[in-house]
Amino acid sequence: MNYLEFLILVLPEAVLTMTALIVIGLGAKSGRGGANPFSSGFLTAIGAAGIVAAGLVLALLPAEASLGGMLVLDPLTRLFKWVILAMSLLTLALVPGWAPPAHRGEYLGLILFATVGLSLVISSEDLLMIFLALELASLSLYILAGYNCDDSYSAEAAMKYFLFGSISAAFLLFGMSLVYGYTGSTHLAEIGAALADLPTEPIFALGVVMMLAGLGFKVVAVPFHLWAPDAYQGAPAPSAALIASGSKVAGFFILAKILLLSFADWDGSADWGGFATGWVPFLALLAALSMVFGNLSALAQTSVRRLLAYSAVAHGGYILLGLLSGGTVGIAAVLFYITLYGMTAIGAFGVVALVEQRRGGDSVAHFAGLAKEAPFTAGCFLVFLISLAGIPPLAGFFGKFFLFTSALGGSAAGDPSGLVWLVSLGLGMNVLSLYYYLRVLKQVFARPPAESTGHATGTPPLLGCMLATTAGAIIFLGCFPNLLLKPIEAALRVVG
Amino acid sequence: MSIGLNEFLAVSGLLFAIGFFGVLLRRNTLIIYMCLEIMLTAVAIALVAFSRFNGSMEGLLLVFFIITVAAAEVAIGLAIIVALFRKRGTVQVEELNSLQP
Repeated sequence: MNYLEFLILVLPEAVLTMTALIVIGLGAKSGRGGANPFSSGFLTAIGAAGIVAAGLVLALLPAEASLGGMLVLDPLTRLFKWVILAMSLLTLALVPGWAPPAHRGEYLGLILFATVGLSLVISSEDLLMIFLALELASLSLYILAGYNCDDSYSAEAAMKYFLFGSISAAFLLFGMSLVYGYTGSTHLAEIGAALADLPTEPIFALGVVMMLAGLGFKVVAVPFHLWAPDAYQGAPAPSAALIASGSKVAGFFILAKILLLSFADWDGSADWGGFATGWVPFLALLAALSMVFGNLSALAQTSVRRLLAYSAVAHGGYILLGLLSGGTVGIAAVLFYITLYGMTAIGAFGVVALVEQRRGGDSVAHFAGLAKEAPFTAGCFLVFLISLAGIPPLAGFFGKFFLFTSALGGSAAGDPSGLVWLVSLGLGMNVLSLYYYLRVLKQVFARPPAESTGHATGTPPLLGCMLATTAGAIIFLGCFPNLLLKPIEAALRVVG
Repeated sequence: MSIGLNEFLAVSGLLFAIGFFGVLLRRNTLIIYMCLEIMLTAVAIALVAFSRFNGSMEGLLLVFFIITVAAAEVAIGLAIIVALFRKRGTVQVEELNSLQP
Protein backbone atom coordinates (compact mmCIF):
# COMPACT_ATOMS: atom_id res chain seq x y z
CA MET A 1 0.00 0.00 0.00
CA ASN A 2 1.11 3.54 -0.60
CA TYR A 3 -0.23 6.92 0.36
CA LEU A 4 -2.10 7.40 -2.91
CA GLU A 5 -4.12 4.22 -2.32
CA PHE A 6 -4.75 5.39 1.21
CA LEU A 7 -5.99 8.77 0.00
CA ILE A 8 -8.30 7.18 -2.55
CA LEU A 9 -9.78 4.86 0.05
CA VAL A 10 -10.60 7.68 2.47
CA LEU A 11 -11.51 10.25 -0.17
CA PRO A 12 -15.13 10.62 1.06
CA GLU A 13 -13.87 11.25 4.59
CA ALA A 14 -11.26 13.67 3.25
CA VAL A 15 -14.00 15.61 1.46
CA LEU A 16 -16.02 15.74 4.68
CA THR A 17 -13.02 16.93 6.69
CA MET A 18 -12.21 19.66 4.17
CA THR A 19 -15.83 20.80 4.26
CA ALA A 20 -15.75 20.83 8.06
CA LEU A 21 -12.61 23.00 8.06
CA ILE A 22 -14.13 25.38 5.50
CA VAL A 23 -17.34 25.70 7.52
CA ILE A 24 -15.45 26.29 10.76
CA GLY A 25 -13.26 28.89 9.05
CA LEU A 26 -16.20 30.75 7.56
CA GLY A 27 -18.07 30.56 10.84
CA ALA A 28 -15.14 32.08 12.74
CA LYS A 29 -14.85 35.06 10.40
CA SER A 30 -16.07 38.26 11.98
CA GLY A 31 -17.57 40.94 9.80
CA ARG A 32 -18.66 44.49 10.61
CA GLY A 33 -19.52 44.97 14.28
CA GLY A 34 -18.11 41.56 15.20
CA ALA A 35 -21.14 39.73 13.82
CA ASN A 36 -20.55 36.80 11.52
CA PRO A 37 -21.28 37.85 7.93
CA PHE A 38 -22.49 34.41 6.89
CA SER A 39 -26.01 33.31 7.69
CA SER A 40 -26.42 29.91 9.30
CA GLY A 41 -28.49 28.81 6.32
CA PHE A 42 -25.51 29.50 4.04
CA LEU A 43 -23.10 27.57 6.28
CA THR A 44 -25.54 24.67 6.53
CA ALA A 45 -25.85 24.64 2.73
CA ILE A 46 -22.04 24.33 2.45
CA GLY A 47 -22.07 21.46 4.94
CA ALA A 48 -24.87 19.74 3.05
CA ALA A 49 -23.00 20.22 -0.23
CA GLY A 50 -19.93 18.60 1.36
CA ILE A 51 -21.95 15.57 2.45
CA VAL A 52 -23.52 15.21 -0.99
CA ALA A 53 -20.06 15.54 -2.58
CA ALA A 54 -18.71 12.83 -0.25
CA GLY A 55 -21.59 10.58 -1.28
CA LEU A 56 -20.84 11.13 -4.96
CA VAL A 57 -17.10 10.52 -4.46
CA LEU A 58 -17.99 7.30 -2.68
CA ALA A 59 -19.89 6.17 -5.78
CA LEU A 60 -16.79 6.69 -7.92
CA LEU A 61 -14.42 4.63 -5.76
CA PRO A 62 -13.40 1.10 -6.89
CA ALA A 63 -15.89 -1.60 -5.95
CA GLU A 64 -13.57 -3.39 -3.55
CA ALA A 65 -10.50 -1.99 -1.89
CA SER A 66 -8.63 -2.66 1.30
CA LEU A 67 -5.87 -0.93 3.16
CA GLY A 68 -3.85 -3.74 4.69
CA GLY A 69 -7.08 -5.07 6.16
CA MET A 70 -7.45 -1.99 8.37
CA LEU A 71 -9.93 -0.08 6.27
CA VAL A 72 -12.11 -1.99 3.85
CA LEU A 73 -14.40 -0.85 1.10
CA ASP A 74 -16.86 -3.41 -0.23
CA PRO A 75 -20.50 -3.21 -1.38
CA LEU A 76 -21.83 -3.49 2.18
CA THR A 77 -19.63 -0.81 3.73
CA ARG A 78 -20.32 1.46 0.76
CA LEU A 79 -24.08 1.04 1.25
CA PHE A 80 -23.85 1.86 4.94
CA LYS A 81 -21.53 4.80 4.43
CA TRP A 82 -24.30 6.19 2.25
CA VAL A 83 -26.77 5.51 5.03
CA ILE A 84 -24.57 7.38 7.53
CA LEU A 85 -24.18 10.29 5.11
CA ALA A 86 -27.95 10.39 4.57
CA MET A 87 -28.51 10.50 8.33
CA SER A 88 -26.20 13.47 8.80
CA LEU A 89 -27.74 15.22 5.79
CA LEU A 90 -31.18 14.85 7.36
CA THR A 91 -29.76 16.06 10.69
CA LEU A 92 -28.36 19.16 9.01
CA ALA A 93 -31.93 20.17 8.11
CA LEU A 94 -32.51 20.77 11.83
CA VAL A 95 -29.44 22.97 12.29
CA PRO A 96 -30.65 26.37 10.98
CA GLY A 97 -33.76 26.31 13.14
CA TRP A 98 -32.74 24.49 16.29
CA ALA A 99 -28.99 24.42 16.86
CA PRO A 100 -27.68 26.75 19.59
CA PRO A 101 -27.29 30.19 17.95
CA ALA A 102 -23.67 30.84 18.94
CA HIS A 103 -20.75 29.57 16.82
CA ARG A 104 -22.83 27.91 14.11
CA GLY A 105 -19.78 27.14 12.00
CA GLU A 106 -18.16 25.06 14.72
CA TYR A 107 -21.40 23.23 15.40
CA LEU A 108 -21.67 22.22 11.74
CA GLY A 109 -17.99 21.31 11.69
CA LEU A 110 -18.47 18.98 14.65
CA ILE A 111 -21.43 17.29 12.97
CA LEU A 112 -19.21 16.69 9.94
CA PHE A 113 -16.36 15.37 12.12
CA ALA A 114 -18.78 13.01 13.84
CA THR A 115 -19.88 11.87 10.39
CA VAL A 116 -16.26 11.19 9.44
CA GLY A 117 -15.87 9.09 12.57
CA LEU A 118 -19.07 7.13 11.99
CA SER A 119 -18.17 6.57 8.35
CA LEU A 120 -14.74 5.24 9.35
CA VAL A 121 -16.36 2.95 11.92
CA ILE A 122 -18.32 1.36 9.08
CA SER A 123 -15.24 0.56 7.02
CA SER A 124 -12.74 -0.39 9.73
CA GLU A 125 -11.83 -4.02 10.27
CA ASP A 126 -9.07 -3.69 12.84
CA LEU A 127 -9.42 -3.14 16.57
CA LEU A 128 -7.12 -0.11 16.42
CA MET A 129 -9.13 1.58 13.66
CA ILE A 130 -12.42 0.66 15.33
CA PHE A 131 -11.28 2.30 18.55
CA LEU A 132 -10.00 5.44 16.84
CA ALA A 133 -13.08 5.86 14.65
CA LEU A 134 -15.48 5.26 17.53
CA GLU A 135 -13.61 7.79 19.67
CA LEU A 136 -13.60 10.39 16.89
CA ALA A 137 -17.36 10.04 16.61
CA SER A 138 -17.93 9.94 20.38
CA LEU A 139 -15.73 12.93 21.22
CA SER A 140 -17.53 15.02 18.60
CA LEU A 141 -20.91 13.87 19.89
CA TYR A 142 -20.00 14.74 23.53
CA ILE A 143 -19.33 18.33 22.48
CA LEU A 144 -22.46 18.43 20.33
CA ALA A 145 -24.55 17.24 23.28
CA GLY A 146 -23.20 20.00 25.53
CA TYR A 147 -23.09 22.70 22.89
CA ASN A 148 -25.74 24.97 24.34
CA CYS A 149 -23.69 26.96 26.88
CA ASP A 150 -26.73 28.94 28.04
CA ASP A 151 -28.58 25.84 29.12
CA SER A 152 -27.56 23.91 32.21
CA TYR A 153 -29.55 20.90 30.99
CA SER A 154 -27.34 20.68 27.92
CA ALA A 155 -24.17 20.68 30.06
CA GLU A 156 -25.62 18.05 32.36
CA ALA A 157 -26.61 15.87 29.41
CA ALA A 158 -23.10 16.18 28.00
CA MET A 159 -21.57 15.30 31.38
CA LYS A 160 -23.61 12.13 31.73
CA TYR A 161 -23.06 11.13 28.11
CA PHE A 162 -19.33 11.76 28.54
CA LEU A 163 -18.99 9.83 31.80
CA PHE A 164 -20.82 6.75 30.56
CA GLY A 165 -19.11 7.00 27.19
CA SER A 166 -15.63 7.13 28.73
CA ILE A 167 -16.30 4.19 31.03
CA SER A 168 -17.58 2.16 28.10
CA ALA A 169 -14.56 3.15 26.01
CA ALA A 170 -12.29 1.90 28.81
CA PHE A 171 -14.21 -1.39 28.96
CA LEU A 172 -14.06 -1.77 25.20
CA LEU A 173 -10.32 -1.18 25.27
CA PHE A 174 -9.66 -3.58 28.12
CA GLY A 175 -11.70 -6.20 26.29
CA MET A 176 -9.75 -5.49 23.12
CA SER A 177 -6.45 -5.85 24.96
CA LEU A 178 -7.47 -9.25 26.37
CA VAL A 179 -8.69 -10.47 22.99
CA TYR A 180 -5.49 -9.22 21.36
CA GLY A 181 -3.39 -10.86 24.03
CA TYR A 182 -5.19 -14.15 23.64
CA THR A 183 -5.26 -14.33 19.85
CA GLY A 184 -2.12 -12.30 19.04
CA SER A 185 -3.78 -10.11 16.45
CA THR A 186 -5.87 -6.95 16.23
CA HIS A 187 -7.32 -7.74 12.84
CA LEU A 188 -10.88 -9.01 13.00
CA ALA A 189 -10.55 -11.82 10.46
CA GLU A 190 -7.23 -12.99 11.93
CA ILE A 191 -8.77 -13.07 15.40
CA GLY A 192 -11.52 -15.28 13.99
CA ALA A 193 -8.97 -17.55 12.29
CA ALA A 194 -6.83 -17.81 15.44
CA LEU A 195 -9.86 -18.72 17.55
CA ALA A 196 -10.60 -21.73 15.39
CA ASP A 197 -7.41 -23.40 16.69
CA LEU A 198 -7.48 -22.20 20.29
CA PRO A 199 -9.47 -23.58 23.20
CA THR A 200 -11.63 -20.96 24.91
CA GLU A 201 -10.29 -19.78 28.21
CA PRO A 202 -11.98 -17.61 30.84
CA ILE A 203 -9.68 -14.68 30.12
CA PHE A 204 -10.82 -14.62 26.50
CA ALA A 205 -14.47 -14.86 27.56
CA LEU A 206 -13.89 -11.92 29.90
CA GLY A 207 -12.41 -9.94 27.00
CA VAL A 208 -15.38 -10.63 24.74
CA VAL A 209 -17.89 -9.74 27.44
CA MET A 210 -16.08 -6.48 28.20
CA MET A 211 -16.01 -5.59 24.51
CA LEU A 212 -19.71 -6.31 24.25
CA ALA A 213 -20.34 -4.15 27.32
CA GLY A 214 -18.46 -1.28 25.67
CA LEU A 215 -20.42 -1.68 22.45
CA GLY A 216 -23.65 -2.14 24.41
CA PHE A 217 -23.29 1.49 25.42
CA LYS A 218 -23.19 2.49 21.74
CA VAL A 219 -26.32 0.56 20.86
CA VAL A 220 -28.13 1.63 24.07
CA ALA A 221 -28.76 -1.84 25.49
CA VAL A 222 -29.88 -2.30 29.11
CA PRO A 223 -27.98 -2.12 31.54
CA PHE A 224 -25.67 0.27 29.61
CA HIS A 225 -28.49 2.64 28.67
CA LEU A 226 -28.55 4.97 31.70
CA TRP A 227 -27.10 7.91 29.79
CA ALA A 228 -29.60 7.80 26.95
CA PRO A 229 -32.72 9.42 28.48
CA ASP A 230 -30.68 12.30 29.92
CA ALA A 231 -28.64 12.85 26.77
CA TYR A 232 -31.73 12.74 24.54
CA GLN A 233 -33.55 15.14 26.84
CA GLY A 234 -30.86 17.75 27.45
CA ALA A 235 -28.96 17.87 24.16
CA PRO A 236 -29.86 20.38 21.41
CA ALA A 237 -32.32 18.82 18.96
CA PRO A 238 -29.92 18.22 16.01
CA SER A 239 -27.32 16.66 18.36
CA ALA A 240 -29.93 14.38 19.89
CA ALA A 241 -31.10 13.38 16.42
CA LEU A 242 -27.55 12.44 15.36
CA ILE A 243 -26.90 10.55 18.61
CA ALA A 244 -30.15 8.63 18.14
CA SER A 245 -29.58 7.80 14.47
CA GLY A 246 -26.06 7.81 13.04
CA SER A 247 -24.35 6.73 16.25
CA LYS A 248 -26.74 3.79 16.69
CA VAL A 249 -26.43 2.69 13.06
CA ALA A 250 -22.63 2.63 13.27
CA GLY A 251 -22.77 0.92 16.68
CA PHE A 252 -24.94 -1.94 15.46
CA PHE A 253 -22.97 -2.27 12.25
CA ILE A 254 -19.64 -2.65 14.02
CA LEU A 255 -21.15 -4.90 16.68
CA ALA A 256 -22.43 -7.24 13.97
CA LYS A 257 -19.12 -7.10 12.14
CA ILE A 258 -17.04 -7.94 15.22
CA LEU A 259 -19.33 -10.78 16.28
CA LEU A 260 -19.46 -12.38 12.84
CA LEU A 261 -15.87 -11.88 11.71
CA SER A 262 -14.07 -12.55 14.97
CA PHE A 263 -16.22 -14.45 17.39
CA ALA A 264 -18.36 -16.57 15.07
CA ASP A 265 -16.74 -19.71 16.45
CA TRP A 266 -17.61 -18.86 20.02
CA ASP A 267 -21.30 -18.10 19.75
CA GLY A 268 -22.75 -20.55 22.26
CA SER A 269 -26.48 -20.90 22.56
CA ALA A 270 -29.32 -19.16 24.36
CA ASP A 271 -31.90 -21.83 23.60
CA TRP A 272 -34.48 -22.49 26.27
CA GLY A 273 -33.05 -25.41 28.21
CA GLY A 274 -30.07 -25.72 25.86
CA PHE A 275 -27.76 -23.11 27.31
CA ALA A 276 -24.13 -23.02 26.13
CA THR A 277 -21.54 -20.36 26.94
CA GLY A 278 -20.66 -17.82 24.28
CA TRP A 279 -21.74 -14.37 23.23
CA VAL A 280 -25.23 -15.46 22.18
CA PRO A 281 -26.56 -15.98 25.74
CA PHE A 282 -24.99 -12.67 26.82
CA LEU A 283 -26.66 -10.81 23.96
CA ALA A 284 -29.91 -12.67 24.56
CA LEU A 285 -29.86 -11.40 28.14
CA LEU A 286 -29.20 -7.84 26.95
CA ALA A 287 -32.00 -8.15 24.39
CA ALA A 288 -34.51 -9.45 26.92
CA LEU A 289 -33.60 -6.77 29.49
CA SER A 290 -33.71 -4.02 26.85
CA MET A 291 -37.12 -5.04 25.56
CA VAL A 292 -38.64 -5.30 29.05
CA PHE A 293 -37.04 -2.28 30.75
CA GLY A 294 -37.20 -0.04 27.68
CA ASN A 295 -40.91 -0.55 27.13
CA LEU A 296 -41.90 -0.53 30.81
CA SER A 297 -39.94 2.68 31.53
CA ALA A 298 -41.36 4.37 28.44
CA LEU A 299 -44.87 3.84 29.82
CA ALA A 300 -44.19 6.18 32.72
CA GLN A 301 -42.54 9.05 30.82
CA THR A 302 -44.11 12.48 30.48
CA SER A 303 -41.29 13.99 28.42
CA VAL A 304 -41.53 12.90 24.79
CA ARG A 305 -37.75 13.07 24.40
CA ARG A 306 -37.29 10.63 27.29
CA LEU A 307 -40.05 8.51 25.81
CA LEU A 308 -38.14 8.37 22.53
CA ALA A 309 -34.98 7.41 24.46
CA TYR A 310 -36.66 4.48 26.20
CA SER A 311 -38.26 3.46 22.94
CA ALA A 312 -34.73 3.51 21.46
CA VAL A 313 -33.67 1.12 24.23
CA ALA A 314 -36.59 -1.18 23.42
CA HIS A 315 -35.83 -1.10 19.70
CA GLY A 316 -32.20 -1.89 20.48
CA GLY A 317 -33.53 -5.06 22.13
CA TYR A 318 -35.54 -6.04 19.05
CA ILE A 319 -32.52 -5.48 16.82
CA LEU A 320 -30.30 -7.62 19.05
CA LEU A 321 -32.80 -10.44 18.39
CA GLY A 322 -31.82 -10.37 14.73
CA LEU A 323 -28.12 -10.47 15.62
CA LEU A 324 -28.66 -13.58 17.74
CA SER A 325 -29.86 -15.61 14.81
CA GLY A 326 -26.70 -14.83 12.83
CA GLY A 327 -26.87 -15.84 9.19
CA THR A 328 -27.54 -13.65 6.19
CA VAL A 329 -31.27 -13.29 6.86
CA GLY A 330 -30.79 -12.14 10.44
CA ILE A 331 -28.03 -9.65 9.65
CA ALA A 332 -29.96 -8.26 6.68
CA ALA A 333 -32.97 -7.79 8.99
CA VAL A 334 -30.77 -5.99 11.54
CA LEU A 335 -29.28 -3.65 8.94
CA PHE A 336 -32.69 -2.98 7.35
CA TYR A 337 -34.28 -2.15 10.68
CA ILE A 338 -31.46 0.04 11.96
CA THR A 339 -31.54 2.16 8.79
CA LEU A 340 -35.25 2.57 9.16
CA TYR A 341 -35.04 3.29 12.86
CA GLY A 342 -32.42 5.99 12.31
CA MET A 343 -34.61 7.82 9.81
CA THR A 344 -37.63 7.57 12.08
CA ALA A 345 -35.67 8.92 15.05
CA ILE A 346 -34.41 11.96 13.13
CA GLY A 347 -37.93 12.73 11.93
CA ALA A 348 -39.40 12.35 15.40
CA PHE A 349 -36.78 14.67 16.88
CA GLY A 350 -37.63 17.21 14.17
CA VAL A 351 -41.25 17.21 15.32
CA VAL A 352 -40.23 17.44 18.98
CA ALA A 353 -37.94 20.38 18.15
CA LEU A 354 -40.81 22.24 16.48
CA VAL A 355 -43.15 21.65 19.42
CA GLU A 356 -40.50 22.79 21.92
CA GLN A 357 -39.89 25.96 19.96
CA ARG A 358 -43.58 26.84 19.63
CA ARG A 359 -44.85 25.76 23.04
CA GLY A 360 -41.82 25.83 25.30
CA GLY A 361 -41.61 22.18 26.35
CA ASP A 362 -41.58 18.58 25.25
CA SER A 363 -44.00 17.00 27.71
CA VAL A 364 -46.87 14.99 26.29
CA ALA A 365 -49.29 17.80 27.21
CA HIS A 366 -47.38 20.24 25.00
CA PHE A 367 -48.36 18.16 21.97
CA ALA A 368 -52.09 18.80 22.49
CA GLY A 369 -53.83 19.93 19.33
CA LEU A 370 -50.73 19.86 17.13
CA ALA A 371 -52.86 18.47 14.31
CA LYS A 372 -54.87 21.72 14.16
CA GLU A 373 -51.87 24.04 14.15
CA ALA A 374 -49.45 22.13 11.94
CA PRO A 375 -51.37 19.36 10.18
CA PHE A 376 -48.47 18.28 7.98
CA THR A 377 -46.06 17.90 10.92
CA ALA A 378 -48.70 16.03 12.87
CA GLY A 379 -49.29 13.71 9.93
CA CYS A 380 -45.58 12.90 9.68
CA PHE A 381 -45.42 12.37 13.45
CA LEU A 382 -48.25 9.87 13.06
CA VAL A 383 -46.25 8.00 10.42
CA PHE A 384 -43.12 7.93 12.65
CA LEU A 385 -44.83 6.70 15.79
CA ILE A 386 -47.02 4.16 14.00
CA SER A 387 -43.93 2.84 12.25
CA LEU A 388 -42.10 2.59 15.58
CA ALA A 389 -45.08 0.74 17.03
CA GLY A 390 -44.83 -1.68 14.11
CA ILE A 391 -48.24 -1.39 12.49
CA PRO A 392 -48.56 -2.40 8.82
CA PRO A 393 -48.24 -1.18 6.12
CA LEU A 394 -45.42 1.06 7.35
CA ALA A 395 -41.80 0.02 7.10
CA GLY A 396 -41.46 -0.51 10.86
CA PHE A 397 -43.82 -3.46 10.64
CA PHE A 398 -41.73 -5.23 8.01
CA GLY A 399 -38.54 -4.43 9.88
CA LYS A 400 -39.87 -6.09 13.03
CA PHE A 401 -41.39 -8.91 11.01
CA PHE A 402 -38.00 -9.73 9.46
CA LEU A 403 -36.25 -9.50 12.84
CA PHE A 404 -38.72 -11.77 14.61
CA THR A 405 -38.90 -14.34 11.81
CA SER A 406 -35.11 -14.53 11.61
CA ALA A 407 -34.96 -15.08 15.38
CA LEU A 408 -37.68 -17.75 15.11
CA GLY A 409 -35.26 -19.69 12.92
CA GLY A 410 -33.05 -20.02 16.01
CA SER A 411 -29.36 -19.32 16.34
CA ALA A 412 -26.89 -20.83 13.91
CA ALA A 413 -25.62 -23.58 16.19
CA GLY A 414 -28.72 -24.19 18.28
CA ASP A 415 -32.12 -25.75 18.05
CA PRO A 416 -34.23 -24.13 15.27
CA SER A 417 -36.96 -23.14 17.72
CA GLY A 418 -34.66 -22.33 20.63
CA LEU A 419 -35.25 -18.58 20.63
CA VAL A 420 -39.05 -18.75 20.70
CA TRP A 421 -39.07 -17.58 24.33
CA LEU A 422 -37.28 -14.38 23.36
CA VAL A 423 -39.48 -13.77 20.32
CA SER A 424 -42.67 -14.15 22.35
CA LEU A 425 -41.27 -11.75 24.94
CA GLY A 426 -40.55 -9.27 22.15
CA LEU A 427 -44.02 -9.62 20.65
CA GLY A 428 -45.67 -9.11 24.03
CA MET A 429 -43.59 -6.04 24.76
CA ASN A 430 -44.34 -4.69 21.31
CA VAL A 431 -48.06 -4.80 22.05
CA LEU A 432 -47.38 -2.93 25.28
CA SER A 433 -45.45 -0.25 23.38
CA LEU A 434 -48.60 0.65 21.41
CA TYR A 435 -49.98 2.21 24.57
CA TYR A 436 -47.36 4.92 24.97
CA TYR A 437 -47.14 5.75 21.28
CA LEU A 438 -50.93 6.10 21.08
CA ARG A 439 -50.96 8.18 24.26
CA VAL A 440 -48.87 10.82 22.48
CA LEU A 441 -50.87 10.55 19.27
CA LYS A 442 -54.11 11.01 21.19
CA GLN A 443 -52.81 14.37 22.45
CA VAL A 444 -51.79 15.36 18.94
CA PHE A 445 -55.04 14.49 17.21
CA ALA A 446 -57.87 14.30 19.72
CA ARG A 447 -57.16 17.13 22.17
CA PRO A 448 -57.75 20.82 21.46
CA PRO A 449 -54.74 23.15 21.71
CA ALA A 450 -54.11 24.26 25.29
CA GLU A 451 -54.41 27.99 24.54
CA SER A 452 -54.72 29.91 21.31
CA THR A 453 -51.73 32.23 21.57
CA GLY A 454 -50.48 34.18 18.62
CA HIS A 455 -47.53 31.89 17.87
CA ALA A 456 -46.87 30.76 14.35
CA THR A 457 -48.71 27.83 12.83
CA GLY A 458 -47.90 25.56 9.92
CA THR A 459 -44.62 23.78 9.21
CA PRO A 460 -41.36 25.62 8.41
CA PRO A 461 -40.26 24.78 4.83
CA LEU A 462 -36.88 23.16 5.60
CA LEU A 463 -38.30 21.02 8.38
CA GLY A 464 -41.21 20.19 6.08
CA CYS A 465 -38.81 18.91 3.42
CA MET A 466 -36.94 16.80 5.97
CA LEU A 467 -40.15 15.35 7.43
CA ALA A 468 -41.55 14.68 3.97
CA THR A 469 -38.36 12.82 3.01
CA THR A 470 -38.24 10.64 6.11
CA ALA A 471 -41.97 9.96 6.30
CA GLY A 472 -42.06 9.33 2.54
CA ALA A 473 -39.17 6.88 2.83
CA ILE A 474 -40.91 5.03 5.66
CA ILE A 475 -44.18 4.71 3.73
CA PHE A 476 -42.34 3.80 0.53
CA LEU A 477 -40.21 1.12 2.20
CA GLY A 478 -43.36 -0.14 3.88
CA CYS A 479 -44.89 -0.74 0.46
CA PHE A 480 -41.68 -2.03 -1.15
CA PRO A 481 -39.36 -3.31 1.63
CA ASN A 482 -37.41 -5.36 -0.90
CA LEU A 483 -35.97 -2.22 -2.47
CA LEU A 484 -33.68 -1.83 0.56
CA LEU A 485 -33.60 -5.42 1.80
CA LYS A 486 -32.48 -6.98 -1.49
CA PRO A 487 -29.42 -4.70 -1.94
CA ILE A 488 -28.41 -5.40 1.67
CA GLU A 489 -28.73 -9.16 1.17
CA ALA A 490 -26.86 -8.99 -2.14
CA ALA A 491 -24.04 -6.99 -0.51
CA LEU A 492 -23.94 -9.44 2.39
CA ARG A 493 -23.60 -12.35 -0.02
CA VAL A 494 -20.70 -10.64 -1.80
CA VAL A 495 -18.96 -10.07 1.52
CA GLY A 496 -19.74 -13.61 2.62
CA MET B 1 10.87 -15.81 40.83
CA SER B 2 10.77 -14.21 37.43
CA ILE B 3 8.10 -11.73 36.50
CA GLY B 4 5.95 -13.07 33.70
CA LEU B 5 2.81 -12.15 31.83
CA ASN B 6 0.51 -13.09 34.70
CA GLU B 7 2.08 -10.59 37.08
CA PHE B 8 1.65 -7.78 34.58
CA LEU B 9 -1.94 -8.79 33.97
CA ALA B 10 -2.62 -8.91 37.70
CA VAL B 11 -1.35 -5.34 38.11
CA SER B 12 -3.34 -4.24 35.12
CA GLY B 13 -6.54 -5.91 36.31
CA LEU B 14 -6.08 -4.46 39.79
CA LEU B 15 -5.59 -0.94 38.40
CA PHE B 16 -8.63 -1.34 36.19
CA ALA B 17 -10.71 -2.45 39.17
CA ILE B 18 -9.43 0.46 41.30
CA GLY B 19 -10.31 2.89 38.54
CA PHE B 20 -13.74 1.37 37.96
CA PHE B 21 -14.70 1.38 41.61
CA GLY B 22 -13.39 4.91 41.91
CA VAL B 23 -15.72 5.95 39.10
CA LEU B 24 -18.61 4.19 40.78
CA LEU B 25 -18.03 5.38 44.33
CA ARG B 26 -16.50 8.85 44.11
CA ARG B 27 -18.80 11.86 44.07
CA ASN B 28 -16.54 14.58 42.68
CA THR B 29 -16.41 14.60 38.88
CA LEU B 30 -12.75 15.66 38.85
CA ILE B 31 -11.80 12.59 40.89
CA ILE B 32 -13.98 10.50 38.58
CA TYR B 33 -11.95 11.76 35.62
CA MET B 34 -8.76 10.73 37.38
CA CYS B 35 -10.21 7.27 37.91
CA LEU B 36 -11.10 7.07 34.21
CA GLU B 37 -7.47 7.80 33.43
CA ILE B 38 -6.42 5.01 35.78
CA MET B 39 -8.64 2.62 33.81
CA LEU B 40 -7.01 3.66 30.54
CA THR B 41 -3.55 3.26 32.07
CA ALA B 42 -4.47 -0.25 33.11
CA VAL B 43 -5.37 -1.00 29.50
CA ALA B 44 -2.02 0.39 28.35
CA ILE B 45 -0.13 -1.84 30.80
CA ALA B 46 -2.02 -4.92 29.62
CA LEU B 47 -1.37 -4.07 25.98
CA VAL B 48 2.34 -3.49 26.47
CA ALA B 49 2.68 -6.76 28.38
CA PHE B 50 0.75 -8.71 25.73
CA SER B 51 2.76 -7.08 23.00
CA ARG B 52 6.02 -8.06 24.70
CA PHE B 53 4.99 -11.65 25.34
CA ASN B 54 3.21 -12.15 21.99
CA GLY B 55 6.16 -10.71 20.13
CA SER B 56 4.00 -8.44 17.97
CA MET B 57 3.96 -4.65 17.64
CA GLU B 58 0.24 -4.03 17.26
CA GLY B 59 -0.33 -3.67 20.99
CA LEU B 60 2.36 -1.01 21.34
CA LEU B 61 0.83 0.85 18.40
CA LEU B 62 -2.53 0.83 20.12
CA VAL B 63 -0.99 2.19 23.34
CA PHE B 64 0.30 5.32 21.62
CA PHE B 65 -3.13 6.00 20.18
CA ILE B 66 -4.76 5.38 23.56
CA ILE B 67 -2.49 7.96 25.20
CA THR B 68 -3.34 10.53 22.53
CA VAL B 69 -7.07 9.87 22.59
CA ALA B 70 -7.08 9.95 26.40
CA ALA B 71 -5.57 13.44 26.31
CA ALA B 72 -8.26 14.62 23.90
CA GLU B 73 -10.93 13.01 26.03
CA VAL B 74 -9.76 14.77 29.17
CA ALA B 75 -9.69 18.11 27.35
CA ILE B 76 -13.32 17.67 26.39
CA GLY B 77 -14.24 16.38 29.83
CA LEU B 78 -12.70 19.38 31.58
CA ALA B 79 -14.48 21.72 29.17
CA ILE B 80 -17.77 20.06 30.07
CA ILE B 81 -16.94 20.43 33.79
CA VAL B 82 -16.23 24.14 33.33
CA ALA B 83 -19.48 24.65 31.41
CA LEU B 84 -21.40 22.82 34.10
CA PHE B 85 -19.70 24.67 36.96
CA ARG B 86 -20.55 28.04 35.41
CA LYS B 87 -24.22 27.11 35.32
CA ARG B 88 -24.59 25.18 38.55
CA GLY B 89 -21.68 26.20 40.76
CA THR B 90 -20.96 22.58 41.67
CA VAL B 91 -19.21 19.56 40.22
CA GLN B 92 -20.69 16.97 42.59
CA VAL B 93 -22.37 14.05 40.86
CA GLU B 94 -25.31 13.82 43.25
CA GLU B 95 -26.37 17.36 42.37
CA LEU B 96 -26.61 16.54 38.66
CA ASN B 97 -30.21 15.48 38.93
CA SER B 98 -32.22 18.15 37.14
CA LEU B 99 -32.82 15.90 34.13
CA GLN B 100 -35.36 13.67 35.78
CA PRO B 101 -39.00 13.32 34.81
